Amino acid sequence: MSNSPLAAARRNGELGLVVMAACITGAAYVLASLGKNSEMPATVVPFLLALLGMLVAAHVATRYFARGADGTLLPLAALMHGIGYVMIARLSDRRAALQTTWSLIAIVAFVLVLMLVQRPPDLARYKWTFLFVGAGSLVLPLVPGIGTSVGGARIWVRIGPVSIQPGEFAKIALALFFAAYLADNRELIAAGTRRIGPMRIPELRYLLPITLAWGFAVVVMVAEKDLGSALLFFTLFTVMMWVATERSIYLVVGFVLFAAAAFTAYKMFGVVQTRVQVWTDPWSQYEGKGYQSAQSMFAFANGGTGGTGLGMGSPNKIPAASTDYIYAAIGEEMGLVGAAAVLIAFVLMIGAGLRIAIRADRPFEKLLATGLTTIIGMQAFIITAGVLRVIPLTGITLPFVSYGGSSLLSNYILLALLIRISDSSAKRLGEVPDELSLGERWETYQLRRAAKRTARP
Amino acid sequence: MNGQIRKLAAALLVLYMVVFVALNTIQVARKEALDENPNNNRQTIRDFNRPRGPIVTADGVVIAQSVPTLEGDEFDYQREYPQADIFSNITGYYTYGFGSTQLERRQSDVLMGDTAAQKVASVFGSGDSTGSVVLTMRADLQRVAADALGEREGSAVVMDPTTGAILAMVSFPRIDSNLISTHNTKEAEDVLAFYNSLDSKPLLANAYQERYMPGSSFKIITTGIALEAGVTDLERSWPDEKEWLPPQTDDPIQNYGGKECGGSMAEIFYRSCNIPFAQMAVELGPERMVAGVRAWGVGEQIPIDLPAAAASNFENAGSDPIDFSQNLPLLAIGGFGQANDTMVPLHMCMVAATVANGGRMMAPYVVDRTLDHDGRVLDHTEPYAWKTPISAATAATMTDLMVGVVNQGTGKPMQLANGIQAAAKTGTAQLNSAGEPQRSHAWIVGFAPAEAPRYVVAVMLKGTNDEISASTGGRLAGPIAKTIFDYLFSHEP
Repeated sequence: MSNSPLAAARRNGELGLVVMAACITGAAYVLASLGKNSEMPATVVPFLLALLGMLVAAHVATRYFARGADGTLLPLAALMHGIGYVMIARLSDRRAALQTTWSLIAIVAFVLVLMLVQRPPDLARYKWTFLFVGAGSLVLPLVPGIGTSVGGARIWVRIGPVSIQPGEFAKIALALFFAAYLADNRELIAAGTRRIGPMRIPELRYLLPITLAWGFAVVVMVAEKDLGSALLFFTLFTVMMWVATERSIYLVVGFVLFAAAAFTAYKMFGVVQTRVQVWTDPWSQYEGKGYQSAQSMFAFANGGTGGTGLGMGSPNKIPAASTDYIYAAIGEEMGLVGAAAVLIAFVLMIGAGLRIAIRADRPFEKLLATGLTTIIGMQAFIITAGVLRVIPLTGITLPFVSYGGSSLLSNYILLALLIRISDSSAKRLGEVPDELSLGERWETYQLRRAAKRTARP
Repeated sequence: MNGQIRKLAAALLVLYMVVFVALNTIQVARKEALDENPNNNRQTIRDFNRPRGPIVTADGVVIAQSVPTLEGDEFDYQREYPQADIFSNITGYYTYGFGSTQLERRQSDVLMGDTAAQKVASVFGSGDSTGSVVLTMRADLQRVAADALGEREGSAVVMDPTTGAILAMVSFPRIDSNLISTHNTKEAEDVLAFYNSLDSKPLLANAYQERYMPGSSFKIITTGIALEAGVTDLERSWPDEKEWLPPQTDDPIQNYGGKECGGSMAEIFYRSCNIPFAQMAVELGPERMVAGVRAWGVGEQIPIDLPAAAASNFENAGSDPIDFSQNLPLLAIGGFGQANDTMVPLHMCMVAATVANGGRMMAPYVVDRTLDHDGRVLDHTEPYAWKTPISAATAATMTDLMVGVVNQGTGKPMQLANGIQAAAKTGTAQLNSAGEPQRSHAWIVGFAPAEAPRYVVAVMLKGTNDEISASTGGRLAGPIAKTIFDYLFSHEP
């Protein structure tokens, strides 16, 4: 590997920050155990070794496969992942064990994605595959026999002992499709050939595939009562259309459609009406639907500015404390300071993600980075704002923090893709020397052998 | 596209700022309101896992303390009341599911270490910032008073007339706070339900949270008002009479037991004739009588440093004010402590203390001082005069009248050992109308030594059974007061 001071600086900075995230997580883990049981956790040494091992493995992967990439994304994700893990472990031993396994799988997936996807344009070639994989996995939970409902939402698929949420992966697949499709057709869509009054309407054959894909996804998510994902997806589509076409009319259209859809959903589904009632007034339904919202308000208030201290609050009183309401558990035990730190971490991740989008040159990479960052940013906003009753609550995970294997796995895949695009730009800009990817080396090797073989006789 | 991406970044930043504002609103601005929401028991859970300081009597006996729980308990500390029931309606209780009462409620910040001074000190000092509360009450005296009262419904209050410091205050029936403070919520709920089901209301301390018809003990107040107004003096005398017809009625007023009663001011006081006091009230008239009674604090909540103290009553029937000018017979009967008069036993103790203290009625208190964990004084109770209904001269005159009660009159059972001169007034409040079975409360309020009073005692027995109802304040309550006084003078600290 050739020498590059800039790459070394980025990677060394990343290593320092990752170790810092590991130290914070380790300290929080010990404090939570002391707070809860007044004793050092029995598993502290293996825990710290495993934690450090996983994070260093992820770091080494970036060092080898994406050494020019932004050095802040992985440490931020590691910090969120660590804080989330400490909260989950503090809430439930059983869930902590499962989350450990999924963490390992997620890190392996992160490394694999960095290893296998070395040239972002390769992904664009598979756009129709991504469309069908995304759409297909969205429908899976509706298939009788394997799909199951948990808490009203039919978004789970049970295969043997493992339950997964295919929707988490569908988001990424569909973002890949949108980015690739829009990169190819954005000018045609933006130009618009027909006129209706002052508006220019693009040719239907360019607009149709993407609107169909989007409409299908939103309808399926609503049918599965996965309102949070539907909202996220709606935003993702609108944002990508707007950024790709550079035409504000898509924001207006998106907003009008959203208002109409929200109104229709409110009229049609009892669950939406309940959510809105709980949002406006959880107190009058304290004994029923409003209970968890009221408990999360109490949790935040109990935390106050400095928090109760890890292990010393009562976040177990919130029914979904380790999934939808993990932000309230953090707010209770780490206070305004800790909850604000989580917000800042997401703002920094959004900043890093969008900086990658701006630095990228090819439309596909630009759009993909924008889409992936929007997923992370909007998802964290939808759930934190929902828990804080800024908007009605729609059940969705807090990226990297909430309990849930599918969510963790898909978020690490997403992270790997962002890091890949970042590295690709660094190479294009000449900040780090471009080298042959693994696949390219393999192809060169094959070609040489073939050449030798043909040269011999 | 970069322009759109930058706008997207700005939009997302705005969204996160909205979340941050919401976070501040809930965690800081609305914190107190949410913490105090009745459905919110997080504060309680946290408090139960923190130590809490003790409540200690003046003679150093611990009457409430927190001890670490055994392994497996839901919380880290258990509140205990080592003296069982006798201080329970002073300390109150401290529970997980049913709140806290009395001193446990009023002094909670000190006990938890949550006062500003303690929080500041805890930054520099040891980890434990809990405080303690030291009472004016004596554990030995409380035990003597409780034993003297026995299992008769009523109360006994002992106080220092010069400061208002409560030395003992017992009520019967009473609760045992240990039974309610158990962490077994179901068990505590059952105990509370049982206490609530009793007609005798043991959850209320009848010494200061209830009021009863005072009978003749109220004549101290009437005499005080009449002396101050010049309606009577020691020279005045009354004819022996069996009955007297007040204005506006055909129903005559009689003396206790329908006897003939009269004589000099001193005689009618120690014999406790009714007619002269009825006449004094009518001579004073509604305006002066009501104003006079108010000057003694009747109608106001007693300013003790315990929650939910009761107020005595003279001028209301139920919640409606009585128009005495249209109801002179009621005013006359009120003059000797019957009709609508009701007095809190502690208030009657304060009435006697006013005479003992030269006319100044001191505000009663049970907390002498509060201390931080290192024993530094956080707060010290400064005694103050709540009311001054009579002059020192009137108080001296009335002391003589009350000495007469003990030496020659209804208060003879309260003559003390070792020649110590006591002063007192008895009361036998008739609860039944003519023709019904006899029901009466027995009262005695008094102080000693008469020449330089150091202690005031008020004993009140509820007329809930025939034994009490058949007797008089002097004969029933007198011996209890004497027991307490004799103990006081033989066991001075």
